[in-house]
Amino acid sequence: MPEPTATTVSANTSTRALRLGIAGPVGTGKSSIIATICRSLADELRLGVITNDIYTDEDARFLRSAGVLDPERIRAVETGACPHTAIRDDITANLLAAEDLEADFAPLDIVLIESGGDNLTATFSPALVDAQIFVLDVAGGGDVARKGGPGIARADLLIVNKTDLAPYVGVDVPQMVSDATAAREGRAVIALSRTDAASVAQLKAWVLALLGSHRGGTHTPQDPGPMAPHFHADEDGEGYFHTHDEAPADSHSHDGHGHDHGTHGRSN
Amino acid sequence: MSGVAGVASTTIAMLLGDARLPSGGHAHSAGMEPAFLAGVGHADVRALLAGRARTSSLVEAGAAVVAMRVLSGAPDASTSDRSGEHAARADLGPGNGNGNGNGNGKFGADRTAELAAVEGAWAARTPSKAQREASRRLGRGLLRLAKATWPDEPAITACAALPDPSRAIVLGAIGAACGMNPAELVRAVVYDDAQSAAAAVLKLDPVDPARTVRWVLDACEAAEPFVAEVAACDSPDAIPAAGAPEAEGWAEAHNLLTRRLFRA
Repeated sequence: MPEPTATTVSANTSTRALRLGIAGPVGTGKSSIIATICRSLADELRLGVITNDIYTDEDARFLRSAGVLDPERIRAVETGACPHTAIRDDITANLLAAEDLEADFAPLDIVLIESGGDNLTATFSPALVDAQIFVLDVAGGGDVARKGGPGIARADLLIVNKTDLAPYVGVDVPQMVSDATAAREGRAVIALSRTDAASVAQLKAWVLALLGSHRGGTHTPQDPGPMAPHFHADEDGEGYFHTHDEAPADSHSHDGHGHDHGTHGRSN
Repeated sequence: MSGVAGVASTTIAMLLGDARLPSGGHAHSAGMEPAFLAGVGHADVRALLAGRARTSSLVEAGAAVVAMRVLSGAPDASTSDRSGEHAARADLGPGNGNGNGNGNGKFGADRTAELAAVEGAWAARTPSKAQREASRRLGRGLLRLAKATWPDEPAITACAALPDPSRAIVLGAIGAACGMNPAELVRAVVYDDAQSAAAAVLKLDPVDPARTVRWVLDACEAAEPFVAEVAACDSPDAIPAAGAPEAEGWAEAHNLLTRRLFRA
């Protein structure tokens, strides 16, 4: 794993764990993907998990019972029937839980934050997560990816999950991935099945590349929506500024965007 | 430096009573989900909220007021006459409170111990562990917000020195930092309790939302005769000790559930 270097470390993104959100509709496999990430990375990285359930602590209990991580490293946040609010408008409870996990198990490499399953418009605030994955599944219908929405179009990664079910639900996976890639203007898409080792390896590589660029200070948290993409600087004018010139060779270059300091971010 | 000069006590009271205040409060029902699960229905809500406003809410409000008094006045930079200072703190009136935290000094160990005693008095009057835990969770969210909003206020810093201050204590610290009028702090606490509960009804078992507004106002009216007395509390012993044993039992039962919409 690359060490942060003095010239590229960004004060507010690299001194703590990478916070990675996983959002998407109910039943698309968010918990399962977290379990998959833990299973593939728990030996080499120090991980923590926060779940946001709407009604129960079932997701936390599922992950604890999956045995992929020390149960103490999995925390549930209760959302008062407002999972959307808890990850976007009032992120207080999630920030406190993330700070607790990072303090209790310092140093952590990644804190995975699972949203409570909500609708297609629910995305994380960039003040809570550094990057986010949006999850769809083939069983939800091949046309969902084409419909777009902030998470589908502009999350850092879109996963089309449960590809192993495609033959049974009559979905053409390459077509769905192609639709998604078009809706995302080329941003990353992974067709995943936990039973397909190659796709799991692809997901692992994506997470590691993201961690590398987070540590290198070259990753910029982006808000997928509902507003149009725009550049974020914090109020002190630091933190999200970076230069691609200084990016390490292995850095995750996000989605190929090039932008100048202080200007609107995406060129595509 | 203090960012409160020029912001009226009334404005801070409105801020604290606003459901949009980002402090994690949306996950709490102020005892309403526990009550509904125990069989309370729409016909009982008005009386329940009025009862709460005269009991548990006044415990919270009294603790907040005493915490505010402990943290009001100049920090312990000099060996000021504590009793005279105490009297001055009790004199806080509308529009008269902006000079509290001077932003330079800190409260000493004495003041921290005094604040811990207020927390202790509040805990002794809140026998349900589930309710204490829920209140401390709310306190954490409020304290996080307060530290970000008034980073240099000694009252907030002193409050943050306690291990796990409850909602009432943090509200008192915010009141001290902002120079709130004690009666307005009391009303803000009562209102916030009633409104949180009424809003939760709309998620748990909806009615015409206009009806819940009447419930909230009736609860505030029920507490009004006690506001002056609670606002005058100036020591931990003076904090009201009214209990609501049935609601405490409901809170304990609710805390054991694995399926619920609200934290408490």
